[in-house]
Amino acid sequence: MFGLRPAFPGGIRLPVLERRDDAAVVRQLPFAPRLFLPLRQHPGAAAVAVVRAGEEVLRGQLLARADDETAVPLHAPATGRIVGISEQPDRGLTTVSVIELAPLPGDTQEDPGRPVRDPTAAGPEALLAAIGDSGLVGLGGEAGPTALRLARARARGVRVLVVNGIEGEPGFTRIPALLARHGDDVLTGLRCLLRVLEADQAVLAVEEADGAAAGALLARARQDTRPALQILPPRYPQGAAELLLRRLARSGSDGGRALAADPAVVFSLATVAEVGRLLSGGLTLTDQLITLAGDGLGDPGNYRVPLGTPVRFALEQAGVLADLDRVLAGGPMRGQALADLDRPIVKGATGFVAVAADGSARVPEPMACIRCGECVAACPLNLHPAELGLLARREEVQAMVEDYQLERCFECGCCAYVCPSHIPLVQIFRAAKDQWRRAQAAAVAQERT
Amino acid sequence: MSPAERALRLVAAPHLHAGAAVPRLMLHSVIALLPVTLFAVALFGLAALATIVVAILACLLAERVFAPPSSVSDGSAMLTGLLLGLSLPPALPLWMVAVGGFVAIGVGKHLFGGLGAPVFHPVLVGRVFLQAAFPAAMAQAWLTPLAGARNTELPATSLALPLMAPTAPYDGLSGATPLTALKSGDTGAPLAELWLGTVAGSVGETSALLLLLGGLYLVAMRVIDWRIPAAVLGSVALFSAVLHGLDGERNPAVLTALGSGGLMLGAWFLATDPSVSPMTRRGAWVYGLAIGVLVVVIRQFSGQAEGVMYALLLGSALTPHIDRWTRPRPLPEGVER
Repeated sequence: MFGLRPAFPGGIRLPVLERRDDAAVVRQLPFAPRLFLPLRQHPGAAAVAVVRAGEEVLRGQLLARADDETAVPLHAPATGRIVGISEQPDRGLTTVSVIELAPLPGDTQEDPGRPVRDPTAAGPEALLAAIGDSGLVGLGGEAGPTALRLARARARGVRVLVVNGIEGEPGFTRIPALLARHGDDVLTGLRCLLRVLEADQAVLAVEEADGAAAGALLARARQDTRPALQILPPRYPQGAAELLLRRLARSGSDGGRALAADPAVVFSLATVAEVGRLLSGGLTLTDQLITLAGDGLGDPGNYRVPLGTPVRFALEQAGVLADLDRVLAGGPMRGQALADLDRPIVKGATGFVAVAADGSARVPEPMACIRCGECVAACPLNLHPAELGLLARREEVQAMVEDYQLERCFECGCCAYVCPSHIPLVQIFRAAKDQWRRAQAAAVAQERT
Repeated sequence: MSPAERALRLVAAPHLHAGAAVPRLMLHSVIALLPVTLFAVALFGLAALATIVVAILACLLAERVFAPPSSVSDGSAMLTGLLLGLSLPPALPLWMVAVGGFVAIGVGKHLFGGLGAPVFHPVLVGRVFLQAAFPAAMAQAWLTPLAGARNTELPATSLALPLMAPTAPYDGLSGATPLTALKSGDTGAPLAELWLGTVAGSVGETSALLLLLGGLYLVAMRVIDWRIPAAVLGSVALFSAVLHGLDGERNPAVLTALGSGGLMLGAWFLATDPSVSPMTRRGAWVYGLAIGVLVVVIRQFSGQAEGVMYALLLGSALTPHIDRWTRPRPLPEGVER
């Protein structure tokens, strides 16, 4: 058999990592002594605090409301006392308000929520409102407000719901955990989303390693809402929504044919499962299923962590070594190295990697581009990383954007992964994008005056 | 214990790497050339060894002069020297070899901007300079292969002093290479000898078989793009077959064309240099085809016996244009977002 022809160019075959025996296990992280909750945890507007310092709050209680459709409400991850609200530096040059919460001891914690027998009994509008009130954001890495994306997809007349069960990063094991431990939540979430979208078709896409687990789960799904299962051979970065849609549309399967014809929307498996879990439990988003990985941890694996937990605390609970080379927010391909382990785990986090300092992680000095074209062959969007890199050296940012579509780059890292000269292409492109955006903003400001 | 008492390193993503590295690519190329290098020494003796050693030393010295010290260790100058040595006639005066090495690195590489920047392969720049400056020596300094006892001594021409006519007569020289013989209407060497390489010719160009094996090794190690040699050799084979079919007297058969001259060295080791070949996969086919056609055209329709060197240079001149014609088209914007 020929299998699926990749529907996007390039991409890379990452070395296949042996799955740990406990890949499907999820451990609960205890409450840290202090939780730190920024009022903006995603791209969008900040929420507005409705609590004051000194106030006692219950687990699941509203802490900040969303006044804007791009904002999401924030709820208390633990029963406890608000220590204070302070301005903290955010990404870039801005600041964000951060609520500091001191949880009460674990055995005094309220059990939040009120189980709902059948969440899908409610109408689409009510379901959409409930998802908005739960404070859910995309959990597949993008972290946009789920209710907003759903509303836009509804307006677009989406007919097909694609559930993205592709593990986005090597070494992460959220997909097997979700399929094995949250199967019912996935199926409930799927029905909720189909109802909100008033769509009738769904596709679940997973890679081969998770094919059997996905098949077993779908066998339990109700006939009328059972998604078509699409099992893909591994290829990075096919989990990116845009590429996944292309690949499925060309697959020739039932789901694929529907995708080619009808407008579709992609939600990550983690988001779908969380919709099911929150709505059927009458819950709000107060914790997060993440993978803690890397050779710097004694106890790596999947953890359910309360929002606001400092990264340092989570790593300590996972048996972190004293001597670390770096810590990544996200996985090895796209994760950003952290300077500060005291920052909190926020909505949409997928995992962290702690890399031990054993000397093997030496970063080679970048050499000159030898024009080998490996990056050109690897780029899944068919951009021209080599030319972009050479243009960046000459600081021709305008040509990078206008002639070579720099802004399409979503920083998957394939180009830098294959570069024999170890040129940090992703870093170069990110800097160029920043420079371009600043220049655009300055030009707009200039025009106003 | 708590981490981050020491500073965490802020390294940009991705944090994984495929493992390819420029110095390793160079090393693989040198390994792939080892069999043919040893064979050359067995074939032409001390003269071949001296030519190779002098070429490498000249290139390393030039690299040291023209570039920061660290670049000597990336192996690229060493590879340039080895390739240059292999591509020269074995009895060429050694001072000319040294000049060729200096020109290859100084002009061919660093005048264009160093590693990755050359428009033409530095080895070919060095060789074409020698061809232009010393045409007589480059056309005559061939040795008879497997010359027995004579192999252990340097021919007098090798030791000729700069800018002086050789005092000793050309000693032990071979009259012609298979290609020059073909050009003058003689029958060339038997096919088996041609492919094994027991014929007169440049130091490391005679054994098509060993070069082919080295090239396949580079493909297996994913050092070179297989499309380039496939296109070069494929178009030489096709074009030669057509010409041989039309006029078998004047035009050699396919296997003769493939096995002679600098074709194998050029197709596997010179044409594939990333900085002189196109960056796109489609471009590699165009480039290879162009070189193959040019090789046959120059060999059969010009006064030159061998056309590989000029074909490679012309092919590289096309590379920027090929890169522009085959520029990747970004995927159309997705349906979502």
